[in-house]
Amino acid sequence: MPGWMPAFVTPQLVTSLVVILIVLHVIAVGAMYLVLLERRIAAWIQDRCGPNRVGPKGLFQPIADSIKLLVKEDYTPKHADRFLFVLAPALTVIPALIGFVIIPWAGVLTIGGEEVIIAGADINIGVIYLVAVTSLGVYGVALGGWASNNKYSFFGSLRATAQMVSYEIPLGLALLAVILTAGTLRPSELIQQQLDGQWFLVHQPVAAVLFFTCLLAEANRLPFDLAEAESELVGGWHTEYSSMKWVLFFLGEYGHLVVGSGFFTVLFLGGWSINPFAGGGSADLPMAGGLGMILLQCVIVFGKVFCLICLTMALRWTLPRFRYDQLMRLAWEGLIPTALLVLLVTSMFVFLGWAQDWMWAGSLGIVLVIWLLQPLLARRVSSNHRVPLAGSRFSPLSEEE
Amino acid sequence: MLVIAVNLSTYIPVGLLVVMALIFAGANLLMTHVLGPRRKGPAKDIPYESGMNPIGTARKRFNVRFYILAMTFLVFDVEIIFLYPWAVTFAKLQPASPEAALFLGRVMFFLATSVVAYIYAWRKGVFRWD
Repeated sequence: MPGWMPAFVTPQLVTSLVVILIVLHVIAVGAMYLVLLERRIAAWIQDRCGPNRVGPKGLFQPIADSIKLLVKEDYTPKHADRFLFVLAPALTVIPALIGFVIIPWAGVLTIGGEEVIIAGADINIGVIYLVAVTSLGVYGVALGGWASNNKYSFFGSLRATAQMVSYEIPLGLALLAVILTAGTLRPSELIQQQLDGQWFLVHQPVAAVLFFTCLLAEANRLPFDLAEAESELVGGWHTEYSSMKWVLFFLGEYGHLVVGSGFFTVLFLGGWSINPFAGGGSADLPMAGGLGMILLQCVIVFGKVFCLICLTMALRWTLPRFRYDQLMRLAWEGLIPTALLVLLVTSMFVFLGWAQDWMWAGSLGIVLVIWLLQPLLARRVSSNHRVPLAGSRFSPLSEEE
Repeated sequence: MLVIAVNLSTYIPVGLLVVMALIFAGANLLMTHVLGPRRKGPAKDIPYESGMNPIGTARKRFNVRFYILAMTFLVFDVEIIFLYPWAVTFAKLQPASPEAALFLGRVMFFLATSVVAYIYAWRKGVFRWD
């Protein structure tokens, strides 16, 4: 760096700032276009046209939407707790916007004789930082519903809070299984290991499924969007919100989606790794490279994130919403025992030194054990009978009429 | 391999991003407050509850299951946080060495204590919401 700069301005810091500014804009603008993408995917799945009037193929729809929402009335109801009511949207959007800083979007580049990594900050506790920050999002939901002083909002936020804290446990346990095999909390080292060996998706498929399920639940996406549940609770915790405050809630949701997909890419899909089963030498992309290689790595990472986002959107329009007791039962009586089993098996394999070569077999064993034990564990639930349609009150038989 | 000395300068971007996010949220809230119109009306100050006139207030008692769930969550969450440093260290130990056996045994005992609590809660019906 030039001599007149203070000592703490290193090439890494400048790169970090550039990456942060770019990704911040990608998330803020991208969230608007993700809404459009989601509406187009929904329309495609449901055989409709979707928004296609504003601009070519509806491409200016997000701009029109945001201008409309910006000049809407910023209304704070009289009955609401004013301070918390304004604070809640900010508390939702801030954790969603600061989480991505640890995700490496590409590898190591040499600038002016110094190695810099294309990430916001490659800190040694990156994984813990991301988990801690994203779980702060629950405060916005809880406070937003409580401050609205509206029964629907309150119930929505209670449900959402209980759901988010419940799914945080299997999320943490699944993450722990990956950390056990990797032995590091630094995201760039996680990617390095997956470049040298297999993806952690190959090692830990069960943990990957658990993690992805919990990501959906943490971001309040369908099939876990009971907090919103517009058929029962109007709009859930953001019933009383309008204008930009409401937008910030949605920006938080989509920000969580982007950051969660990026986290999943780093943890299980090996970042910019293109070979799931082997690595090292010519079999996979290198960690460091020239500008062209860095750009290629960026494209691969963003491509993986985009595919994951499309998957969640397709899931949204494919799966029906859970009922609340099913949701809580899935978390506490399904995902948590499974995650504990994964943790137990992984720590045994690490202890015996098999983790690098045989973890996939252990994961298959876990699936087998769950499949065999499942009929023994499943509890008969009185509220979960399958009622035949013919003869029910919706479709009475002809002699009953 | 990339070697970064453990110093606080790696956290400068994190701090800057937090400031940026604060400004972003604050600016958006302020902008919409300035730009939007203001209209008042008596019906506007009523909580929107599907168009019904609200009965009672929302500040009332709710189901105790949420409290119990929150406490169970705390037990597990704190436990998981304790396990992260263990996981990082344990993966670096020599496999099947006495030291690793000690590490594993201690944590398995620690996990077993919370699994006992978990099974107790399950049998007590904490996780039943139907």
